[in-house]
Amino acid sequence: MLFGGIDVGSLTAQAVLVEDGTIYAYKSIPVRPNPLESAGAAFGNLLEEKGLKQEDIKYVISTGYGREKIQDAKVAQENVSEISCHGMGAFSLVKDVRTIIDIGGQDAKVIKVDDRGELVDFVMNDKCAAGTGRFLEVMAKTLGVTLDELGPISQGSRNPPEMSTRCSIYAETEVIHYLQRGVSREDLAASINRSMAERVMALVRRVGVEREVMMTGGVAKNIAVRTELEKSLNVRMVNARIDPQIIGAYGAAVLAQRERGA
Amino acid sequence: MITMGVDIGSLFSKAVILDDEKLVASNIVATTGNTADEIDVMVEEALGEAGMDRGEVECLVATGSGADLVKNSEFEEDEVTCVGMAAGTLVPGVKLTIDIGGQSITSMMLDEDGDVVDFMRNDKCASGSGRFLEVMSGAMGVEVEQVDETVTLSEKPVLLSSQCGVFAESEIITHVNEGEKMPDIIAGICDSVANIVVAQARRFGMADKYTITGGVARIRSVVRVIEEKLDGTYQKFPHDSRLAAAIGAALLGQFEEE
Repeated sequence: MLFGGIDVGSLTAQAVLVEDGTIYAYKSIPVRPNPLESAGAAFGNLLEEKGLKQEDIKYVISTGYGREKIQDAKVAQENVSEISCHGMGAFSLVKDVRTIIDIGGQDAKVIKVDDRGELVDFVMNDKCAAGTGRFLEVMAKTLGVTLDELGPISQGSRNPPEMSTRCSIYAETEVIHYLQRGVSREDLAASINRSMAERVMALVRRVGVEREVMMTGGVAKNIAVRTELEKSLNVRMVNARIDPQIIGAYGAAVLAQRERGA
Repeated sequence: MITMGVDIGSLFSKAVILDDEKLVASNIVATTGNTADEIDVMVEEALGEAGMDRGEVECLVATGSGADLVKNSEFEEDEVTCVGMAAGTLVPGVKLTIDIGGQSITSMMLDEDGDVVDFMRNDKCASGSGRFLEVMSGAMGVEVEQVDETVTLSEKPVLLSSQCGVFAESEIITHVNEGEKMPDIIAGICDSVANIVVAQARRFGMADKYTITGGVARIRSVVRVIEEKLDGTYQKFPHDSRLAAAIGAALLGQFEEE
């Protein structure tokens, strides 16, 4: 029996199908102009790829941007906040996970769950771009590298300069200033990733950390930010072993199964 | 007595020459990388406008983030003290000064002598600063100088919910895609800057009479909204508001020599 989860983010939209709590199939697409279109396309493409029809899926839960509208349009039967979905998704992958650091394109969250994957506490920053994926996006563009390169190239850094500002707009000016003075892109990438990790740590400190810790969302793919966070936390994070961007949709599908699973 | 004030800011550098409290010459140039040479040229141009040579200046005072780059200054003074001195001396009865610079917003409370007794400053976040206005209007293809003219065509300013400059930039792009008119978006940006400034001033404390200095004070569309929302009476700074810190530095030079 199949259950579905749909998660629309700021940059990508995901659909996941689960069977007996494990991932049967998933699809990730760049977002369309509105969340409903994104949800329809991600879920529709996934069904098509697997030769399935909507009625083959017993229950679907939507999360992320426009989750209510997606339910209203009957693409999903229920909607749940992305905080609960990321918590449940990470917990279902690794049962020892208690703290989830979820960094998306426009926000950052630290989520704490109990031994059943239920939400205990969370903090969120969606007011300031510093410490979100958006900061890395702006910085990568300023450096003239892709978002995917930002983590790997910083591994070649020898002498990363100190960033005096955390504001994305001022940091852009600062990075340009360093580039003009001949500081290497490798070093600047390392400074940027470190600054990013520092902002996330400020958020983490507000709720505290309980092991195990998992990182979800697009920024989890940045190896340098991940390593910096592990150093600051003095904790080795557990590996999701799947694309960290689909964990919200996976959590939604797990919740769908809990809701209607026999 | 002839004194000179030089203010090296994050976006612009300014030089003024005062004869007692009378402004006789001023010069404003963009701050770029080559600051030391730039300062020399700026100072020479101001002297040229006044028809004076360097020897006639009895005291030169430097201020701003690049104050240490100014050669031959008698002393350096921080911008807050300088702006407070200019507002306190030139705007009668003013107690509160709000300085909106390229990379900061500062609210200052003054005593009868124009000395700053307390201040609150945000220079950590671009929200509401001149840089914020520049980035936002730039995303719409409108120069800061054209903002006021553009806003006159606005019928219904859009509401921007993001205070973060990066998020606000995405938000205005969404408004463009949704078919909002350009003047309405520019007016929305001005409202947003004004609201951020008003929020800081309210947190800091109010006074009967206040003035606004710094580059953003020249944008009528921003000042008008601040005036509507803040209690107290707005008093216009009598010169180009960008010159406040430089004028204050030159005034401090006057008192120093007396």
